Amino acid sequence: MTDKTLAERSAPSLLECEINGEKVSLAVPPTRRLLDLLRDDLQLTGTKRSCDIGRCGACMVLIDGKPFNSCLTMAYQCSGKSVTTIEGLAEEERLHPVQQCFLEEGGYQCGYCTPGMIVSVKALLDANPQPTMEEIEEALSGNLCRCTGYGGILRSVARAIETGGAASNE
Amino acid sequence: MAMEQKEILRRPSVWQPRDPAEAVRLKEAFGPDAVYVAGSTLLRTQWEAGTAVMPPHLIDLASIPGLAGIAEQDGELVVGSLARLDDCRAHPALADKAPLLVEAIKQIAGRSVRNQATIGGNVVYRVGDAMPALLALDARLDWHDGTGSRTEDVSEWLRAPSAAPRVLTAIRLPIAEDAPTSNARRTFAYHKVGRREAFTPSLVTVAIAAASAADGSIADIRIAAGGGQTVPKRMTRAEDALLGKAPDARLLAAVHEAILEDYVPAPDPFAADSYRKKTAANLVVAALWKTFCRPAEARG
Repeated sequence: MTDKTLAERSAPSLLECEINGEKVSLAVPPTRRLLDLLRDDLQLTGTKRSCDIGRCGACMVLIDGKPFNSCLTMAYQCSGKSVTTIEGLAEEERLHPVQQCFLEEGGYQCGYCTPGMIVSVKALLDANPQPTMEEIEEALSGNLCRCTGYGGILRSVARAIETGGAASNE
Repeated sequence: MAMEQKEILRRPSVWQPRDPAEAVRLKEAFGPDAVYVAGSTLLRTQWEAGTAVMPPHLIDLASIPGLAGIAEQDGELVVGSLARLDDCRAHPALADKAPLLVEAIKQIAGRSVRNQATIGGNVVYRVGDAMPALLALDARLDWHDGTGSRTEDVSEWLRAPSAAPRVLTAIRLPIAEDAPTSNARRTFAYHKVGRREAFTPSLVTVAIAAASAADGSIADIRIAAGGGQTVPKRMTRAEDALLGKAPDARLLAAVHEAILEDYVPAPDPFAADSYRKKTAANLVVAALWKTFCRPAEARG
């Protein structure tokens, strides 16, 4: 690299972003996967690892309010953004309404897909509080439940819609 | 120089050019040791599967300002290459003027992947499921080669892709304006067949953009077929058979034959060529039948 201007274009190894409402500065390689950063560096293990290629949705997080697969996202891609994980939904001891609906309707079996599922449902209802079945299916098509417990999951979503699950605890 | 060494040791490094020319210069400097990265969703699947190795240098195209916009400009829709697929899917101008593309994008991966993946990445992949739609829409591509911008037809990119270190900056879609007095009708169809209903890689995708004249004959038609690892192509024999005619069962039988011959799928160990040829021909003919042959009241 002989070009001085270009040499200045290297992404910083310090990641500055917001995670669950807190500003953080993390010394991580820019290509570190967000999934590894959350689980291994920050011990936020609610975000689950499964397929590693963005097909299963177990690692779903919100970036600036939209659902993203944290296995597909690299640290530098989060720079200046706001990341919300499943740990960031509940307030103190009080579950987020979508979490509460999953609990009450039995929207899980083994529970491994549940954090990702809930994150996707929150993103959906924040953007569209009264989705049609078609819109629900589209929004959740990237979240797989290998127990095939979709009946309970759809019941939970229906209940979250009824009870205004998009509303946060605030 | 000491700084240089340090940078190189901190592999893999991410480079954030400020404009397309810088991106090209970085690619020229690193050669095969660097790859352009936008959403990185496809690259990640290749890195994880071991079909590609993450190179020591990534050139982050998302750092270039101004490449993610979608705008109407001089009778064209100009879609920035860095526009995220879900932003394209939700864009009112695209929904209004290029519903075929929106329909195609709706069926690519799931929403979270579409939040990250870019339209440019789908184009550069060449077998992305937006490509049949872009072919049917007669899209053109803007590339920056480091010194200037050049526009090429999407069909040219699919037929003979240049390996030059250039950056795709925009996709241009002509806006088809119907003459206000004519009874011409524009129609489109997009169908994707995979192994599941949603969030599935395609086996066959077809896209049709057509215009019919007042007398019911086809005034203009582009049919493209791709899917899986098959590089999409126009079905020109079928198009020629249809142009100027009002489709009926006999004509559609000939179109079916033409597509069986024209559509040559890439080898797939799990899906026979004959199955995919038949699927492509059936999808096209069924779409044409619904659009042009069913009684008007049934079309709703």
